[in-house]
Amino acid sequence: MAEKEEEFTDIDGNPIKLSCQNYSPFCREFTVSSAKLSLLRVMMFTSIVWLLAYAAFYVTQNTALLSGAIFVTLIGMLLHVHLVKVDHETLLLVDSLGVQLSSTYASGRESTSFIETSRIKDIVINEAVHMQTIIYYLCILLKDPVDPHGISTVVPLFPVGILSVHPGTTLKPITSQLIIYTKPLLY
Amino acid sequence: MGQRRRGGTQQFMPDTQSCPPDTPTSGILRCPGYLQSQKHSICMVSDFFYPNMGGVESHIYQLSQCLIEKGHKVVIATHAYGNRRGVRYLTNGLKVYYLPLQVMYNQSTATTCFHSLPLLRCVFVRERITVVHAHSSFSAMAHDALFHAKTMGLNTVFTDHSLFGFADLSSVLTNKLLTATLCDTNHIVCVSYTSKENTVLRAALDPDIVSVIPNAVDPTDFTPDPSCRDNSKITIVVVSRLVYRKGIDLLGGIIPVLCAKHPDLCFLIGGEGPKRIVLEEVREKYQLHDRVRLLGALDHKDVRDVLVQGHIFLNTSLTEAFCMAIVEGASCGLQVVSTRVGGIPEVLPDELVTLCEPTVSSICDGLEKVIAKQRSGKAPSPAAIHRQVRTLYTWRNVAERTEKVYNCACGQPVLPLPARLQRLRSHCGAVAGSIFSFVAVIDFLFLLLLQWLWPDHLMDVALDASGPGGHWERGFWKKKGKNLNAAH
Repeated sequence: MAEKEEEFTDIDGNPIKLSCQNYSPFCREFTVSSAKLSLLRVMMFTSIVWLLAYAAFYVTQNTALLSGAIFVTLIGMLLHVHLVKVDHETLLLVDSLGVQLSSTYASGRESTSFIETSRIKDIVINEAVHMQTIIYYLCILLKDPVDPHGISTVVPLFPVGILSVHPGTTLKPITSQLIIYTKPLLY
Repeated sequence: MGQRRRGGTQQFMPDTQSCPPDTPTSGILRCPGYLQSQKHSICMVSDFFYPNMGGVESHIYQLSQCLIEKGHKVVIATHAYGNRRGVRYLTNGLKVYYLPLQVMYNQSTATTCFHSLPLLRCVFVRERITVVHAHSSFSAMAHDALFHAKTMGLNTVFTDHSLFGFADLSSVLTNKLLTATLCDTNHIVCVSYTSKENTVLRAALDPDIVSVIPNAVDPTDFTPDPSCRDNSKITIVVVSRLVYRKGIDLLGGIIPVLCAKHPDLCFLIGGEGPKRIVLEEVREKYQLHDRVRLLGALDHKDVRDVLVQGHIFLNTSLTEAFCMAIVEGASCGLQVVSTRVGGIPEVLPDELVTLCEPTVSSICDGLEKVIAKQRSGKAPSPAAIHRQVRTLYTWRNVAERTEKVYNCACGQPVLPLPARLQRLRSHCGAVAGSIFSFVAVIDFLFLLLLQWLWPDHLMDVALDASGPGGHWERGFWKKKGKNLNAAH
């Protein structure tokens, strides 16, 4: 069982780690993990909310505001940890079986989906307009059940940890690696 | 596969150290790989592109194809057309960005000056553009792109495709906008000398920086075929949109006069538009249903099949910067009769075209002359006319001349912000100049904000499909390109 770990940055410049594990010649796992929730940022957000609440309290003299602020920070933090903050994303490739995508949130919640080989048409690097930028991303093309040559859905891989390509580094080391690795596995 | 792609991109990796440190924004954008090899990385910007059809669209497409053939890298930026958005590839790796910008009126985007900056900056940075080439003064996106390109420190070229008036409100406003965007554009291209005169006057430009490069037609698409003609009668062909500008009212006056004189004359009219009703009324009133055929809207590929059926091509335009239609008509071997307006007298040599004043009587006289020539058999053969026209206007020639314009534009320095503001103030008048200077400053600050939010070095450098080190022919795209296309 070989394991390699490399460091990259995502499209916003945040550091992410990629590790790939070879369980057997027919089974590989890629994990992209992002940095842990930093204590400094959590404290900064809490103190901003609380300072605002104190300012409002000073004007209105209503204590409900202070307890409200505590609830807002607590619930906000819970929701962020449970729904937004992704700790790591995993792509498990098993020959002749399919691909399993799973993302683990900071709270420990895990969402998993599995795509069997027969539904996969190809894995490509695609280019698209995303918000106000244009990005490359790795995606799986699914076969259209009606038209054998058509594509029904495009499933992005690692939607959170989208990798950035520096002009200084080689082009998409991770994705080209993935392409090279996945090809013989899936066909 | 990974190895090959790596090699291709490193070859033209932006090397910030060897770039001239003239402006801080231009550092990463000026790609020395392109400048050293005398090749350019060109971004064509216009609101008008395929699937919309027209003269500007085909000009951009044909010019891009010929520039790619010459080894330059070309990408096109336009707004999204319905379902067609994102990134697409056309023939020979011509990359088209259909950007999701809101369309306001007549397929033109809104001119807010700012909302297009993030996406256009992204295109310019990731494609390592060296020259921005904007098309058509009707296109708000082209104006925006010129403005943003200057803010980012890029060289710009603008092509004007149409003639404008000076009197009505929309012309006055467009002309003011044009003055502001063109005052620091490096080079301007017009399609005819009349158009050049018009543009110089409208935008208060120095005539030295305006070049004339005519449009072209693909001569292999428009070949004569005399066997399609019915020689027992004389057919006059008109192919144009049926709108006021194309002089359809004149056509409505000519038809009854000539039909009464010549019993063997018939008209074949292709095109659609609001003035169709005029022609239908004439046909009804004079009972000419068997002699005036209205074909309705024509696809571009069907135009040739209509043209070869006729003996005489008639153009009745009231204003025209460069008339492509008469070149197409002549290329199909027809005798051409046209009004003498705008840039039309420059287009064809005198022996190939009969020019008339834009009045019913003058056009009738001109047509009579040509009909008499046709009857007496003195008219040159279609093949002879085609041979003469074939070499006049070719896209390769247009691309060669445009390349010279790019070389010239690339050699010029890009004005830094203070000089640019001074120029705006001195060129556009006190009030408009101040407003546009203010907009330029806001644009600059917005760019700084964007550079802080999404730094240039974090943006992925796009894989070149065309140009030096392009991947299109190297087999990579043959496998992958199909899927990339289909995925959108």
